[in-house]
Amino acid sequence: MELRESVQLSLRAIREHGLRSALTVVGITIGIAAVITFVTLGASLQAEVVGEVAGDAPPEMQATVGPEGQEGGPPGASTVPAFTERDVEEIRSLPNVGRAIPQGTVQIATLQHGGRSIAWESATATSPGFFADRQFASGGRFEQGTDEVVINEQAASLFDPELEVNDTLVLQSGANSTREATVVGILEDGGGGPFGDISIPQVYVPTDPFYQTTVESPATGERQRVYPTLTVVASDYESVPSVQSDVQAYLRDDSDARSLKPDEYEFSVQTNEELVEQIREVIGTFTGFVAGIAVISLIVGAVGIANIMLVSVTERTREIGIMKAVGARRRDVLQLFLVESVVLGLAGAVLGTAVGLAGGYVATDYLDLSLTFAPEWFAAAVVVGVGVGVLAGLYPAWNAARVDPIEALRRE
Amino acid sequence: MTGHTDAADADAPGTAPPAVSLSGVGKRYERGGEVVRALDDVSLDLPRGSYTAVMGPSGSGKSTLMNLVGCLDTPSAGTVLIDGEDVTELGDDGRARIRGQKVGFVFQTFNLMPRLTARENVALPLVFRGVDRADRLERADELLARVGLADRTDHRPNELSGGQRQRVAIARALANDPAIVLADEPTGNLDAETGRRILGEFERLHEAGTTVLLVSHERHVAEHAERIVHLRDGEIEGIEQIEERRRAAVADAADGAENKPSGVDGDR
Repeated sequence: MELRESVQLSLRAIREHGLRSALTVVGITIGIAAVITFVTLGASLQAEVVGEVAGDAPPEMQATVGPEGQEGGPPGASTVPAFTERDVEEIRSLPNVGRAIPQGTVQIATLQHGGRSIAWESATATSPGFFADRQFASGGRFEQGTDEVVINEQAASLFDPELEVNDTLVLQSGANSTREATVVGILEDGGGGPFGDISIPQVYVPTDPFYQTTVESPATGERQRVYPTLTVVASDYESVPSVQSDVQAYLRDDSDARSLKPDEYEFSVQTNEELVEQIREVIGTFTGFVAGIAVISLIVGAVGIANIMLVSVTERTREIGIMKAVGARRRDVLQLFLVESVVLGLAGAVLGTAVGLAGGYVATDYLDLSLTFAPEWFAAAVVVGVGVGVLAGLYPAWNAARVDPIEALRRE
Repeated sequence: MTGHTDAADADAPGTAPPAVSLSGVGKRYERGGEVVRALDDVSLDLPRGSYTAVMGPSGSGKSTLMNLVGCLDTPSAGTVLIDGEDVTELGDDGRARIRGQKVGFVFQTFNLMPRLTARENVALPLVFRGVDRADRLERADELLARVGLADRTDHRPNELSGGQRQRVAIARALANDPAIVLADEPTGNLDAETGRRILGEFERLHEAGTTVLLVSHERHVAEHAERIVHLRDGEIEGIEQIEERRRAAVADAADGAENKPSGVDGDR
């Protein structure tokens, strides 16, 4: 029998039992709508909760080069400068990368201000992006290419009177190498990210002009600054794992650093493991929650279809007998009932998706969450709705196909 | 209508196999651990174009015989040939194919599809043979006209009288141009007058060359056939040739409409 014929006959059977079919479709609609609503709600809640868990900590990771097995050690302990400006640019252009911030160390001997001189080992050279997630007690970030510095409150308090914004600080790195710089910002203590304890005195300088370590980039042939540490900030927490592996892949396959580093040294791209793990758990919990709701809803829908189809088969046993008497094969009968249940499943899935979208919108609005859609789930819901139709219809249809026409025709 | 070709075949019985041929057919089944012999060593030929009635009390094996000839069931012994084709060993789908191609059923309770119109009911067997929709409906209209229901094609069974329903069923039985039309108590649910008209339809089928097997427990119904096969306890008790056949269609034929029933519908 042609599929078109089955569809026509099925539609007629569905229409004939209008109320019953409508109720079945309503059942599936509610099932699918629940899935869509909870998926939407789940995705929105997840975004909210991940935000809560992460707090102010930026979704960042640090790339370093060090001896094999040093992973997990303090960054910078025995790292070598290997990341060129080109590497920084390339990493910055990877997907979901918000910022890539180079960090290097500038050796100095003393800091001098107002006639007072303090022995100082080194300053951290970095780019202004470093301060994006940090709180200033006063002032703000420095600009590249200027003689500006940022210090933290600890460092400021080493001087008497305390250093303030716009004070001049002299950085002396050798007997006759001094550089004057203006303090443009003072960082709050303790407000740092998960890396770098900034409650010890710190001085930050722009890489240009202070950082002088350069190397010839193997890729471009130009002399470029080369850094021992890169901080890569992902656009959000969910993408930290993928950014981490992208950065690792880039460093391994395409970077300048891969040829600049000593052979026995390895790259390490470290994230805040604890935080990332927590977030992974949150996402896992939500995924499980949503999947649970989805499965329950779909089972309810499937039971509805199966039930109605079984009733329908029983009720139409005589009709099945008639069809068989006039030449319908098992396949024809099977097809007829399967098509009917798929039509019901499809109708429910389509309606359910519409209702679910509206439901998700209303729910997130009510809970004051920002709406986050998970479109791949919608497609899945429709596919599953049809699949449920097939599965739920399979047993009843098989029953129908096996009806003995002699018995069926004897029925009153 | 190939009914006329069938008639030609019937005139020369040597050239074509009988419409139905049973030889040594038996049917037994178990019911509650007890073996029931529904049919035992039945051999019977239904020549093309013949009109045969089967009579017998309930439990005599009438229904079983009907089911075997109609390819609804398989025998436990013997062979069944329909239109020369051995259907004894056929599976479910094979028998469905034979039913769709070579057998037309007319039941006591009409057995029409309630949701389909008269036209669609008649066309139903053709659906399962993959006949194009337009061709199907054209054929259905033609057959409905032949049984005098040209003006009822779009009615559903519940909008038709019993006699009209049975005529739709007869038209449906003819849709596939079957080798044999099986009528199981076709007048059982009808009043006497309507029943007589339905028997008239069968008479016309017979005259047009269709092979008819009619099952009845009423002698006056069975007497419309050329011969009566008497069944008792699953065996053929005897075959009786009817010398003086009852003629249901005499009145209709006298109307002058050779192969159409009277325009006035006497059915209820």
